[in-house]
Amino acid sequence: MSAVRPVGERSGTASTFPLQLDIDSDTLASCVACGMCLPHCPTYRVTGEESASPRGRIALMRDVAERGEADAAFVEFMDACIQCRGCETACPAGVRYGHMMETTREALASQTSYQPRLRRLAYRALGMPRLLGFGSRLLGLSQRLGLMRLVSLLGRVRPFRQLGAMTASLPRVPVRQAPLTASGDDVWLFTGCVMDAWMRDTHRAVQSVIEATGAGVALPPAGAACCGSLHLHAGLASDTRRLARKVMAALPGEAPILIDSAGCGATMKEYGHLLGTEEARQFAGRVQDVHEWLAARVDELPEGAPTSAPLQIAVQDPCHLRHVQQAHLPVRRVLSRFFDVVELDDDGLCCGAGGAYSQQHPEVAGAVRERKAAAVERTGASVVASANPGCTLHLQAVGLDVRHPLEIVAEHLNGGAPQ
Amino acid sequence: MPSRSAALVGYGRGVTSEDAAADAALLADLRGVLGDRARDNDFERGLYSRDGSIEGSPPAIVCLPDSAAEVAEIVRVCRRHSRPFLARGSGTGLAGGAVPVGRPVVVATSKMDRIVEIDTANRIAWVEPGVLNLDLSRALAPQGFHFAPDPSSQQVCSIGGNIANNSGGPHCLAYGVTTAHIAALEVVLPSGDTTVLGGVEAEPAGLDLRGLFVGSEGTMGIATKAAVRLTSNAPAVRTLLLDFDDVSEGSAAVSAIIAAGLVPSALEMMDQRAIEIVEAFAHAGYPTGAAAVLLVELDGLPGGVEAGVEIVREVAQKHHVGHVRVAADDAERALLWKGRKNAFGAVARIKPDYYLHDTVVPRSKLTEVLEKVYRIADAYGLIAVNVFHAGDGNLHPILAFDRREPGVDERVKAAGRDIVAASIEAGGVLSGEHGIGLEKRDYMGMLFSTHDMYTQDVVRETFDPDGLANPLKIIPTGSRCSDSFHQHVPEGAWV
Ligand SMILES: Cc1cc2nc3c(=O)[nH]c(=O)nc-3n(C[C@H](O)[C@H](O)[C@H](O)COP(=O)(O)OP(=O)(O)OC[C@H]3O[C@@H](n4cnc5c(N)ncnc54)[C@H](O)[C@@H]3O)c2cc1C
Ligand code: SF4
Ligand code: SF4
Repeated sequence: MSAVRPVGERSGTASTFPLQLDIDSDTLASCVACGMCLPHCPTYRVTGEESASPRGRIALMRDVAERGEADAAFVEFMDACIQCRGCETACPAGVRYGHMMETTREALASQTSYQPRLRRLAYRALGMPRLLGFGSRLLGLSQRLGLMRLVSLLGRVRPFRQLGAMTASLPRVPVRQAPLTASGDDVWLFTGCVMDAWMRDTHRAVQSVIEATGAGVALPPAGAACCGSLHLHAGLASDTRRLARKVMAALPGEAPILIDSAGCGATMKEYGHLLGTEEARQFAGRVQDVHEWLAARVDELPEGAPTSAPLQIAVQDPCHLRHVQQAHLPVRRVLSRFFDVVELDDDGLCCGAGGAYSQQHPEVAGAVRERKAAAVERTGASVVASANPGCTLHLQAVGLDVRHPLEIVAEHLNGGAPQ
Repeated sequence: MPSRSAALVGYGRGVTSEDAAADAALLADLRGVLGDRARDNDFERGLYSRDGSIEGSPPAIVCLPDSAAEVAEIVRVCRRHSRPFLARGSGTGLAGGAVPVGRPVVVATSKMDRIVEIDTANRIAWVEPGVLNLDLSRALAPQGFHFAPDPSSQQVCSIGGNIANNSGGPHCLAYGVTTAHIAALEVVLPSGDTTVLGGVEAEPAGLDLRGLFVGSEGTMGIATKAAVRLTSNAPAVRTLLLDFDDVSEGSAAVSAIIAAGLVPSALEMMDQRAIEIVEAFAHAGYPTGAAAVLLVELDGLPGGVEAGVEIVREVAQKHHVGHVRVAADDAERALLWKGRKNAFGAVARIKPDYYLHDTVVPRSKLTEVLEKVYRIADAYGLIAVNVFHAGDGNLHPILAFDRREPGVDERVKAAGRDIVAASIEAGGVLSGEHGIGLEKRDYMGMLFSTHDMYTQDVVRETFDPDGLANPLKIIPTGSRCSDSFHQHVPEGAWV
């Protein structure tokens, strides 16, 4: 773990600035510093540094909350958290770390220049499907025309450094995608922002599995463009609230809202807490991870093509499914109907993707991913199922065969023909 | 007892400009060894100012070495600057052993976490000190082995910390504490020299200096590598949960199980408050209404284990057990242990701070001492939670409190002292496994005579004549016996 540092080059400035952290003293005191969370924290695992551990981060928050001021080092320490919430699952004291970190990020974003203008604009684009679609096609084209070298060269110039790092690790983005077609109104299938722009085939596969139970699928209109999850993690909670209101308006009625991206599902289940209205709480109650819904109907799925030996599939639990939604077991229930499911031996440790994290902290994210890849290798399985697009892209980048669980199921139900 | 961050905020206080200049020179030399892995920013010094105990004071500099050679260099730099240093593993110690006193350099071993070699033929593994206890057992599992000492903190505590504290764990009842599982140690002595203590052969020649180092809490140097013994996984394991309406029936059952000739691999007890908080975290089906539960584990060959289960059942029935639950499979076993092993942290569900002792009392006195613990806690207006290694009489009376309440620290410490006194009065000792460190140092005089402590100090000084390795720990300073003895004993007489 030696080489990995939790943060980049230390800014080295000792200057402080005022920062009001609105976390109540009971919450701050709730950590007894027992350390049980440390091995479940990916950034501690790869750095071995207290400042990159949940126990350390909470102590720092407590310190800043008491002093009412922070410095650049504090911002870097907070920014280095992947917000996977593995620590929360592990914590015997029931410390609500996720909310503490969200509050901290929100304070940083609203009181400091933590989220620079450019980044804010980029986040805003996620809620604009046309712009996002256009940008994605442009990106896809540039990738094919070899223009990315130009972008990465540009990335060597200081103001564009972040852009360079981001584009270097991007997946191959499709230029043209066929639209999805609705088939009824039993359930909504939420399609989201980046996932719809880049990975619509995953939605197509998910839709086909839902339909295989006999249910009809409604698709959201353009208004439900983005759940606001990335904004929430970046401390832009007010953007999340704005997007949440749009999403809620676009998905009316009583029908369950099924999510095939763990990150989106985690955020949409939190709308009640975020908006604090009865309407939002009711809406959040309708949100289910698609596997939760399917697990209750797994017997209604057809047999699929007979196979000589069941395929071995390693399940990688997205943190926002396992640690936030606690909905990782239904994935196994659905998969094990058809396949031989094998477990990783890392207690659900994060893979390092973390929404935009892997773009912003490539070194830590890469080291965390190495641990995941090693865990996958120890299982001997050649296919990995992951119910979150961010994890999928991040792990595919090191050559792992990672697919959405329902893509694997859809392929099987289709007699092995690729979707 | 400073507030957790007061120590950090207040660091500037009392630090003179000479101190600052000395720190700067020291930092420059440490940077020469470690580059930016030598840190002196306020935040990080604050983070390394405390461990799992309630004490805290920040170090001057935090070092994050990555190799034994770097550790040796750090120690040599510290010597040149006459600056104390102390090793730190995962900072879960409960006696303040890893709390920096006297503005020392902290040497954190967390980046040294490699399993160097696994030799199943000789049942030895060489590991670096920062390897986490459970990681080691997990790495050994495919070959059918594990590292036997299993502190409840095993998922996070380091092998280096286990060695320094001679830690125990639920399964040490049958398998023995850490010292029984360490064959050899590579150590950087306070002189800066590196040496190997003990050996992997069955009976190494010479004095057992390895045995001396294990349990010395970092006062004799820094372990940089350890040859640990591998224990083979038992072919059969059974875990039973027994509940009782009465704590005294539970304690009596503990003695009766052992008297029946069984040595369970683990025999743990929890009282009602412990059961409640543990169940709230683990959802393992612990009976929250019971006054006490015993968690009993038997391992060995299948026939013997099944016979053992029947014996435990009979004994428990004689002591009016409520239910006897035998875990059906590994998953249920794991869930029960998850509850037990997270008990300390779960105390935060009652109050945000805890202070605990680690006394050992004769098994026959368990009921009597437990009753005293409740009475003492009541008298000081505190909440006592008991969860402990009943099989070897190793109590862990936890006092739950909120340090934000004014004056509570004095009450907590006074209650702690009374609990220690009650344990010693019952024929017990000060510490079973957590070590003495800083928190229990001043109780040493309750158990040891001045001569005893003098002897211990002499041994320590043999390793560390300049008192640089984790100073001011274990042996009380106020009554620093050696100080007075120094005047009487001619120089060199004891070395
Ligand atoms: C929830 C909880 C449960 C616990 N349960 C148990 C239990 O069941 N049994 C038990 O015995 N303990 C228990 N403990 C106490 C603690 O976990 C153990 O003492 C553990 O061995 C400490 O390991 P560490 O890596 O955290 O060491 P630290 O706390 O970092 O250090 C402990 C001591 O070891 C020294 N040290 C560390 N590394 C080295 C090294 N490489 N060379 C020389 N000295 C070194 C330090 O200077 C210090 O004096 C528990 C603690 C907690 C918080
Ligand atoms: S967050 Fe929870 S597990 Fe981690 S140190 Fe604090 S109390 Fe312990
Ligand atoms: S959220 Fe994840 S990365 Fe952040 S402190 Fe918790 S475990 Fe570590």
